Amino acid sequence: MIFQVNYSSGKPIYLQLVDQVKAAAASGALRTGDPLPSIRPLAEELRVNRNTIAKAYSELESLGIIETQPGRGSFLRENHAALKKDVRRKLLTEEIDQAIVQAHHLQVPRNEFLTLVEERFDALEQKRRAREEK
Amino acid sequence: MIGEKPMNDTTPAIQIENLTYAYGHTEAVRGLSLTVPRGRCYGLFGRNGAGKTTTMKCLLNLLRPHSGSIQVFGMNPAKQEVAVKSRLAYVPDQVAFYPWMTVRETLDYLASFRERWNRTIEQDLLNRFGLDPAQKAGGLSKGQKTQVALIAAVCPETDLLVLDEPTSGLDPIVRREFIETVIGAYQETGSGERTVFVSTHLIAEFEGLIDQFTIIDGGKAVLTLDSDAARERYTRIRARFANAVPEAELAGALRVRKDGRELEIVANGGAAQLLEKVRQYEPEFISTEALRLEEIFVATLKA
Repeated sequence: MIFQVNYSSGKPIYLQLVDQVKAAAASGALRTGDPLPSIRPLAEELRVNRNTIAKAYSELESLGIIETQPGRGSFLRENHAALKKDVRRKLLTEEIDQAIVQAHHLQVPRNEFLTLVEERFDALEQKRRAREEK
Repeated sequence: MIGEKPMNDTTPAIQIENLTYAYGHTEAVRGLSLTVPRGRCYGLFGRNGAGKTTTMKCLLNLLRPHSGSIQVFGMNPAKQEVAVKSRLAYVPDQVAFYPWMTVRETLDYLASFRERWNRTIEQDLLNRFGLDPAQKAGGLSKGQKTQVALIAAVCPETDLLVLDEPTSGLDPIVRREFIETVIGAYQETGSGERTVFVSTHLIAEFEGLIDQFTIIDGGKAVLTLDSDAARERYTRIRARFANAVPEAELAGALRVRKDGRELEIVANGGAAQLLEKVRQYEPEFISTEALRLEEIFVATLKA
């Protein structure tokens, strides 16, 4: 998995990494059992403090998204959807709020925004189906 | 852990209080205070002549403070020089070795002052940098000298690594490798307990490493912040209007630029209120982004 760090996003770096793993897991880019890069090479590659990477990984672990096997590394967990429902809703709410603010900036009205959400659901579902058929 | 001395975990790696130092009548450091907690990567950012190197030299007991105090792991560098030096390693801005010694002899010589020396890391880094151990130090380029100094600073596996303008004057590849080595080889050895104190004006390349910083100007601290908090607090708002930029009262903005229909605001906190205010004038387009550390540095010193 290839990570990216954006210093202009205003989001803490460790959180950017956490969100990228979540997104990769949700989209299927990262599948159950897939390994995550080890901390040191990832820190060197991104030129990000080792502790920042470690913090991201321990956050992902406490969220139940990855598991770390001593000496083997970190892997995407099977039942990573094991987050409590209210936690999941809260995480999603933050993202939706951001998208709504962005829609407001770009002057995309409510109806158009909601239609777009429906379209995206369909598009992603189609993609997933196409992948599963392969 | 071997070599770890018993101590209170909350003792800061570095504590500087009201430090002053003058060269003759020229005050270089004027009442500087800062605290570097253990396990952090702390940046000391300033322009040339801001007092960074003088501060570093006081820390290393190369200069005696005229007033104020410095503590390294709770110890006074002037009174407990040996104990302090055994806990830290240092890469200066100007690296000097005995020119007649080979790289091998130089490293052995430097290792002789240390309680421990990790030979595995030494070999790894010599390979990584492509350094020839038989080469005379006098024939090394500036970049290679810095690489040897970095090897000598990483191998003793000290709790604190002090870097004074370590990458200025080096080519981009060497700079990149330098930072990767600090992140990889140095930080790896301490399981989150290694402290780095780095002074630089090349802020962008250290952005990912630094988790807290002080901007120093005229020998004083002008801003101390957590990097993530800083990027959250300093925001650039850009807006474009259908007609000319309205004459809005933008109290609280750090900087405002207007050109025709475009408006750019830099906010130091309070971005949400400013955003709300700008929106009242119904811009065609509006966007926000965080300032990077280098932009925060420039904005702070130009404000």
